[in-house]
Amino acid sequence: MQSPQSSRPLTSRDPGDIIAHGPDGEISVGQFVARAIELAGRLPDHRYVINLAADRYQFFLGFCAAVIAGQCTLMPSNRQQQTVQQAADEYPDCYLMGETTAHGIERFDADFDDPGADTVDVEIPEIPLHQLCAIVFTSGSTGAATPNRKYWETIRTSTLSNVDLLIRDQKARLNLVATVPPQHMWGFETSILMPLFSNIAVSHITPFFPQDIVDALESLPEPRALVSSPVHVDALLSANVDRIRIHRIFSATAPMSAELARQLEQRFDARVIEIFGCSEAGTFARRFTASERLWRLSNTFDLDVGQDRVVIRASHLPEDVVLHDVVELVGEDKFRWLGRDQDMVNIAGKRGSLADLNHRLTALPGVVDGVFFMPDENSKRLAALVVAPGLQASDILEQLKPGIEPAFLPRPVYIVPMLPRQETGKLARKMLVQLFEQTQRIRAQQDEGPTDS
Amino acid sequence: MQPQSEYEHEVAELIVESLNLEDVSADDIQPEEPLFGDGLGLDSIDALELALAVTQRYSVQLKADDANVQEVFSSLRRLSAYIAENTS
Repeated sequence: MQSPQSSRPLTSRDPGDIIAHGPDGEISVGQFVARAIELAGRLPDHRYVINLAADRYQFFLGFCAAVIAGQCTLMPSNRQQQTVQQAADEYPDCYLMGETTAHGIERFDADFDDPGADTVDVEIPEIPLHQLCAIVFTSGSTGAATPNRKYWETIRTSTLSNVDLLIRDQKARLNLVATVPPQHMWGFETSILMPLFSNIAVSHITPFFPQDIVDALESLPEPRALVSSPVHVDALLSANVDRIRIHRIFSATAPMSAELARQLEQRFDARVIEIFGCSEAGTFARRFTASERLWRLSNTFDLDVGQDRVVIRASHLPEDVVLHDVVELVGEDKFRWLGRDQDMVNIAGKRGSLADLNHRLTALPGVVDGVFFMPDENSKRLAALVVAPGLQASDILEQLKPGIEPAFLPRPVYIVPMLPRQETGKLARKMLVQLFEQTQRIRAQQDEGPTDS
Repeated sequence: MQPQSEYEHEVAELIVESLNLEDVSADDIQPEEPLFGDGLGLDSIDALELALAVTQRYSVQLKADDANVQEVFSSLRRLSAYIAENTS
């Protein structure tokens, strides 16, 4: 059956609106689209493009040009040569855009210095709804990438849902800075896709340190918005930076405490909105963290909480998505988050399976037994307890490095005589933490204590 | 191995302390070796933590252009020089 409308425009905005803050100032929708059309005509003739541009405006322009040209943008989970190569191996009909050290893959230099066409009198291209526009890769603990396909229909519908969920009452144009890379799903949704469908102008800068974030925001007119993660905004609060007004702070990638949200709101005269989502489904819920514990589900999605699994579905998604979270529905459109699936950990915005990490650890030569775990709720890193007679912690780390995403490397690794396994072979968390803390104390005493003479 | 200067040693101690690198001692950090990636294997969370520790200890706000984050943290020597240049 043919749908009534088989294509939709690249952007819903007026040509005179401001869509980006580039290195040379404001860029209107008309200028932007004209440049994207011009660039689309020059792109190499391939199906896929790996867009590694660090400059957000360049990524944005490259992405839209590819969409216009009917090409699909590949977004590897990081910029490391190995990861990029892996994507290129799986999608050989591809080329590279942006800064990279990867070689052996065709490179296209977009020459962004040439501002190109400069007209506001431009016809907005229509994009077929079934066109595959992006593949976002999620990497598990092993670095093995899972592709998440984003069709134009998926992109358009989920972005309109995000606009409704996050900035429904926002009238004046939001000037937005993101600390998250545009290639990451959260950064992609907010800083690339939302400006196409709502009154947002995005900065080309991706600041990193607290002072950089303040400088980037200060260079923009009010009202301003910041798209970030708890790690970044926590650093922003702790560093003694200037007080500036940030109208909205959007946070994702890890849970934020109500206390942190309240402090941010006070310090920056902000409203903190935390979002819930994943690369497979995109954003599907939000909460005002300073005052709310419950998450409000977007009305585009259905959350199906079953006995042993939680599924999120929507008509614009290619398939149902199983969540690795434990949640409890409250009324029609709210839910309470009770924690992650016991096996799953999230570090630096990356999701990994403890079972898989444990399997890799115990498979190492010389390792008799071993386990990864989170020492406590506030830990930013995993720790590992390992039974490996004759081996040092550094040996274990060296052996783990090639097969594991760096964020998941345990810190610290303690070599212990044995693990406190129960008769069934199970490891109780309480016992693990006890052994961990005990080992930590002994190590501290050894470091400080007098040496035998 | 090139020797650390006294100042570099102080910064090396700050690195080990602020990032809980239990299996690395300050003396192990080679001044010209990369801190991130293959070197000490640090990542962006570490960069933020370390930046915060540097701010608290030396009252220096680390700043970087987009592409320069890695440059400032490229080695113990470079980071120490950056702190020294920006300490009043």
